[in-house]
Amino acid sequence: MILAIFDTDNWREIGATLARNKTRTFLTAFGIFWGTAMLAMLHGGALGLAGFMARNFEGFATNMGAVIPSTTSMPYKGFNKGMWWSITVEDIDRAKRMSAKMDLVSPLISRGGTAAYGTKSTSANMNGCGPDFWKIQQVNVHAGRVLNEGDERQNAKVAVIGRNVSDELFGPDPQQALGKYVNVNGLYYKCVGVASQKGEATIQSRVDNAVYVPLGPMRTAFNMGNKVDFFVFTAKDGYKPKDVLPSIRRAICAGHPIHPEDEKAFWVMDVSEMFDVVNTMFTGIDLLALLVGAGTLIAGIIGVGNIMWIIVRERTREIGIRRAIGAKPRDIIVQILSESMVLTTIAGKAGICFACAVLHGADALTAVPGHAAAGFQLGFGTAVVILAVFLVLGTAAGLIPSIKAMKIKPVEAMKDK
Amino acid sequence: MIIELKDINKTYPGAVPLHVLKDINLQIERGELCSIMGASGSGKSTLLNILGILDTYDTGEYVLDGTLIRDLNENRAAELRNRLIGFVFQSFNLIGYKNALENVALPLFYRGIGRRKRNAMAMEQLERMGLADRAHHLPGELSGGQKQRVAIARALITQPSIILADEPTGALDSQTSKEVMRVFRDLNADGMTIVIVTHDPKVGEQTNRVIRISDGRIEGGEEDA
Repeated sequence: MILAIFDTDNWREIGATLARNKTRTFLTAFGIFWGTAMLAMLHGGALGLAGFMARNFEGFATNMGAVIPSTTSMPYKGFNKGMWWSITVEDIDRAKRMSAKMDLVSPLISRGGTAAYGTKSTSANMNGCGPDFWKIQQVNVHAGRVLNEGDERQNAKVAVIGRNVSDELFGPDPQQALGKYVNVNGLYYKCVGVASQKGEATIQSRVDNAVYVPLGPMRTAFNMGNKVDFFVFTAKDGYKPKDVLPSIRRAICAGHPIHPEDEKAFWVMDVSEMFDVVNTMFTGIDLLALLVGAGTLIAGIIGVGNIMWIIVRERTREIGIRRAIGAKPRDIIVQILSESMVLTTIAGKAGICFACAVLHGADALTAVPGHAAAGFQLGFGTAVVILAVFLVLGTAAGLIPSIKAMKIKPVEAMKDK
Repeated sequence: MIIELKDINKTYPGAVPLHVLKDINLQIERGELCSIMGASGSGKSTLLNILGILDTYDTGEYVLDGTLIRDLNENRAAELRNRLIGFVFQSFNLIGYKNALENVALPLFYRGIGRRKRNAMAMEQLERMGLADRAHHLPGELSGGQKQRVAIARALITQPSIILADEPTGALDSQTSKEVMRVFRDLNADGMTIVIVTHDPKVGEQTNRVIRISDGRIEGGEEDA
């Protein structure tokens, strides 16, 4: 006994049957093709969109919070509400001491200004930051290094300049900027590094268009004493910025006449919450893609089932003849299902290939030099699952009419016109 | 005895049940060439369908080549049809998109015989029918007589115990009918048991025994031709 699957006549017959009605075969195949392609494209598209969004946050600590001072909203210790106050270096040190859940912290001071070298000049934000800043916002270093603990400790008059600033002042080779003294708002800083931003998300200003100096020289330059504009921090692994907030509040209130319950005295930007919102949104998009894809898939399967009904109906007489000469019900079912499976497999694979090509195009279109691809792609495993689901459902759709055909007596089937 | 029917009854259910076969008793010996004749609606085709295990009977007993044909499931019925019976139909019942060779070889496919062997066997049968040069022609490219000879080749390929022919000359002109009947007679001369259902007296005349059926009953005198 040989299996029908290994019999070339069986395959030739499947080919001949499918080729007999080209238009119908094409339309059925197109239904399957489009179903798999849509499902694959929607899934890959949702992944790519999420990747595209994630790329904006590339290099950006996602469990970051920022504390920004505002005016008080409650009178306290003889001070009226509406009092302006500033964060000090001591506040930050105290917060760090009081919160075991805080990981990295960096004060920030930012001022507009001009950077110049020789006869060339360009507008650039001047930012003072602590060494932890470079861990909270990771950057692409094109030449030299970023600022470190040593620069901070020594109040070194050094600077990291943004890539655009470097291009304007020193030309396209960032190495040319290293060791040069750049005039920023009238003071000279030795350039120790050229950097650019990884993603699109920024803290205060875009790294490419800014000049970063240690906090000490910055405070001195602008005569700020121990004050800073604001500070950014990250929570330790397993914690969220909101877990650190009570300690920060206590630390700040301990150094300023701010009522402990004054919620408006400073505001906190919790980036992790924003990420949660984005992640939830993309989970929703993925779910929507799955639903739409499943709908398309079901429509395709119904199409296959419908066509199989027609094929079985058209071939009732032939089925009767085959049964009269010895075909068992299983032989007929295998024959009909083989046709359905061949059609589903070929059209499904074509749909997957088409989806991969479209996703590849989308990935190429959204590519940005120096950045990772957005990820408009379909995993091999996912492609196999989509094909398998289509194959199983397509087979099931063909099974019903096949079984129905088996219930007709051979003698009645042969009378069918 | 290759066929033995005892008190076979068959009724088609419906608003008015139709009792088509009434207490049929029939024996056919191995190597016989006999015809079943009767008017339209007499029950001869129903009888042939029961003989061919294409239909079931209600009461009685049918023994084919020593096998009791009763309450068979579809798989067993298909297996017996494939092994014991060769069918020849009035409208040939060839599969239109398969060539003559493939049509003839098809019963062997369901017996699980490999392509090369079944094609060789099919070609042998076509040669026997004088159709070797038509082996790769589709049924639409063959004459009526050629189609019926292809159908006979298909019926013979499994080396069945009996050939059941339902109006085998019904769609053929008189000359072609003679040719087809000559084939049947030759086969019978080689020992093949053949039962032909017909309403054509000329066909009946060429068989060794005529079984007349009328209103669902076999008429008293089974006659020798």
